[in-house]
Amino acid sequence: MKIKVTSIYVDDQDKALRFYADVLGFTKKTDFSQGPYRWLTVAPAEDPNGTELQLALNNNPAAKAYQEAIFQQGQPAAMFFTDDVKGDYERIAARGAEFTMPPTGVTGSTIAMLNDTCGNLIQLTQLAHYSR
Amino acid sequence: MTDREQYMPGPANGVQIRKDGEKWTLILVRELRHSPEKVWQALTDPAHLREWAPFEADGSLGTVGTTVKLTTVGAPTPHVSETKVTRADAPKALVYNWGNHDIRWELEAFGGGTRLTLWTNIGRRFISMGAAGWHICFDVLDRLLSGTPIGRMVGPDAMKFGGWQRLNAEYAKQFGIEAPNWPPQAAQES
Repeated sequence: MKIKVTSIYVDDQDKALRFYADVLGFTKKTDFSQGPYRWLTVAPAEDPNGTELQLALNNNPAAKAYQEAIFQQGQPAAMFFTDDVKGDYERIAARGAEFTMPPTGVTGSTIAMLNDTCGNLIQLTQLAHYSR
Repeated sequence: MTDREQYMPGPANGVQIRKDGEKWTLILVRELRHSPEKVWQALTDPAHLREWAPFEADGSLGTVGTTVKLTTVGAPTPHVSETKVTRADAPKALVYNWGNHDIRWELEAFGGGTRLTLWTNIGRRFISMGAAGWHICFDVLDRLLSGTPIGRMVGPDAMKFGGWQRLNAEYAKQFGIEAPNWPPQAAQES
């Protein structure tokens, strides 16, 4: 088995595509529709053939309740890894994204948290490298 | 060969689009040699819908105010939309939503048959795919009403079918848009 796609719920797929493409710099991978169903995936420019992120329309009341609750709690809906969290923070903030947490040192890593404008907090994580 | 295997849709015809800013609406018109009452039943009764429509309904769509669950047939992940019937004037007008798509049917008695019109909004990127899909659904509906059903042809059954691909390209040309890249490259390579 392989993890090729992981999903995140969004309140509006067009808006989500704009945010993930224009602000985060992701590339659109697959986009097709069947009636009101739309399968939409993106991948980070740095890893275009890596795991894709499905931007799934949240029209499910149970999923909406869960999404809103974890957002209110400050829990990220997804976590992306980077080698330069500070550089990413500056680049993404300059494009207008709202960070709810600037780069912050925590155990084993430096993290930052941003609002994807579609109902989610996204955590950026840079693992710490300790010298031996 | 069965009727289903022999089926091949005619050329792109009977579909228009209306552009209202970002909201694009697909308008399909088809003249059927069957009474409005008979067509109405095919549009509202779950057992009839199962024979031609792109969704399964868990109840009749024929009563205003009812809530019905519509399951998209063949979606890549399970997809159920709760719909509300907002207009049901048998056998003339039927309005409900399918997810974020408004679906409006009009049935007009016409020379002993019915002139059937469907209005539905659809994302502009997918308008030719939608036109091709509904075109085939209308053909299948016509066969069903004529007593020679060929079986529902939607989702993956439609998309892998050469007739659908041709219609998609023809409608894209007619509407002056670029045909969506289908099948996806990954599927073409495998």
